[in-house]
Amino acid sequence: MTMQLQADAQPEAGTQLMKVRGMSMSYGFGASENKILEDLNLDVASGEFISIVGPSGVGKTTLLRCLSGLLRPKAGTIEVSGTVISGPHPDLAVVFQDYSRSLMPWMTTRDNVAFPLQGKGMGKVERNRVADENLAAVGLEGQGDKFPWEMSGGMQQRVAIARALAYNAKVLLMDEPFASVDAQTRFDLEDLVIKLKQELGVTILLVTHDIDEALYLADKVVVIAEKPATVVDEIITGFGEDRDQLATKADPRFADARARIMHRLRKD
Amino acid sequence: MTSTTSILATRRGTVRKARPRSGDSFGRSLLRATWLIVVVLVAWWFLSANSTNFFIPSLEQILTTLGRDLANGVIVAGAIYSLTNLFVGLLIAAALGIILGLLLGELGWLRRIVDPIIHFFRSVPQAALVPMIIGVFGMGQGPKMGTIAFACMWPILLNTIDGVLGVEPTIRKFSKVYRIPRSLHFRKVVLPAALPQIVAGIRVALPIGITVMVVSEMFASIEGLGFYILNSSATFKVPETWAGALLVGVIGYVISLLFVLAERRLLRWYHASGSQ
Ligand SMILES: Nc1ncnc2c1ncn2[C@@H]1O[C@H](COP(=O)(O)OP(=O)(O)OP(=O)(O)O)[C@@H](O)[C@H]1O
Ligand SMILES: [Mg+2]
Repeated sequence: MTMQLQADAQPEAGTQLMKVRGMSMSYGFGASENKILEDLNLDVASGEFISIVGPSGVGKTTLLRCLSGLLRPKAGTIEVSGTVISGPHPDLAVVFQDYSRSLMPWMTTRDNVAFPLQGKGMGKVERNRVADENLAAVGLEGQGDKFPWEMSGGMQQRVAIARALAYNAKVLLMDEPFASVDAQTRFDLEDLVIKLKQELGVTILLVTHDIDEALYLADKVVVIAEKPATVVDEIITGFGEDRDQLATKADPRFADARARIMHRLRKD
Repeated sequence: MTSTTSILATRRGTVRKARPRSGDSFGRSLLRATWLIVVVLVAWWFLSANSTNFFIPSLEQILTTLGRDLANGVIVAGAIYSLTNLFVGLLIAAALGIILGLLLGELGWLRRIVDPIIHFFRSVPQAALVPMIIGVFGMGQGPKMGTIAFACMWPILLNTIDGVLGVEPTIRKFSKVYRIPRSLHFRKVVLPAALPQIVAGIRVALPIGITVMVVSEMFASIEGLGFYILNSSATFKVPETWAGALLVGVIGYVISLLFVLAERRLLRWYHASGSQ
């Protein structure tokens, strides 16, 4: 089984991985029902980087919790790899916004990364090897014996990314993963995620309230707005594989797309 | 996807930062922990030296008696008997308290059902239970261990439940999304997360255990430190009574010292990460 995991290649680019249809979500019941999401549709193809951008409090975290199987939507369906999900699915991994809370302080970083593999029944030697590989992939080579609390915020978030990669999911769901690090660290992490996507062919769905970040990272930006929230716009960025914090953001298409999204969000 | 493109080099054990030690030598921390005791002992020695009160023997007399009964084995046998009861009782209390606490903490419906019972038993003064339990189960060693276990279980149980309820919600979400199997989730997520609280519960249980240990030997018993104290006091051997009580105090102190040392090792991540 461990060998099979290793050999498990990502599906061919363009294969449909996720399909969300008519999804609605609300908190509470009856008179106190608070509708958050309404009739939301979304398609995710293999190898795609999708940013979902929306204002604060619009329901981005709620959306991601539904997609990751933590919350059951009130209506609609979520398909992953062709089957409708009713809970967490092995093809999905999540990178949480709050890195300092999602890593376990009683485990070394290696153990943190290897732990979900233990849950999959992988042997100790094998899972430690996979953990070390993935720590190296996020630029933390040889740091497996450190504890998360010995590391900076940016490094901790790298560990969380390594953990998601090691889990060998097809889609990584990220909830504002870089919202609580400083600007330079944020740029580094953005470039790391772009690199990982290109080198490993991971499919990424990232939620953010930062329009620049959404545009810089994504192949496709999905704008959600209004109350209850729904998809109000979709933009194919078309910046290609090579991105650069200065050049890409100076691209006239970047400014156009930015203006379009801001306009879209200001309307309501 | 897992096989990354980078060359893998498993450089284990490198770059491990030496964790800062508490910056204190062992001798100094020992001094800080014991100086007041020394002062009290010295004061006691001199203040009691010329005591003529029959019920307040001099410390010298007490220590002589203690030394004599330690040497001739009278009090040693009692101490071993008592400590055996204490440790077995505490072990049972910890095992039951932790297992039940983990279950009750995780299973909300179960917790809501048994909550009133827990709070009832917890509010009964533990020493008051001793005569009842001994009355019901007889005077052997088993009932004494059982009484200690029963009394010590409550703080451990309640703290474990608290610890489980306090597990970081994001870590719970992580465990769900990454489909961690239940038993692994219990052992590697919930248990370590609740461990600081569990350890605090055991620390509360220690003095309760010692009290119940002594009290249980004052009922229908012919062995143990409690019996030694009660028996000597009933026969007006006052220095023996004091010696017994002093020994119980010393034992309690040593146990709690050992416990603090064990806790530091066990919860190193907790203290070092500053998450307390
Ligand atoms: N567990 C909950 N119970 C009830 N209401 C909730 C719950 N979680 C979120 N909400 C409400 O749902 C709405 C959307 O919250 P959500 O956290 O999904 O927004 P968000 O877009 O992620 O916001 P932010 O940018 O601040 O992270 C908010 O109005 C919030 O008050
Ligand atoms: Mg959010």
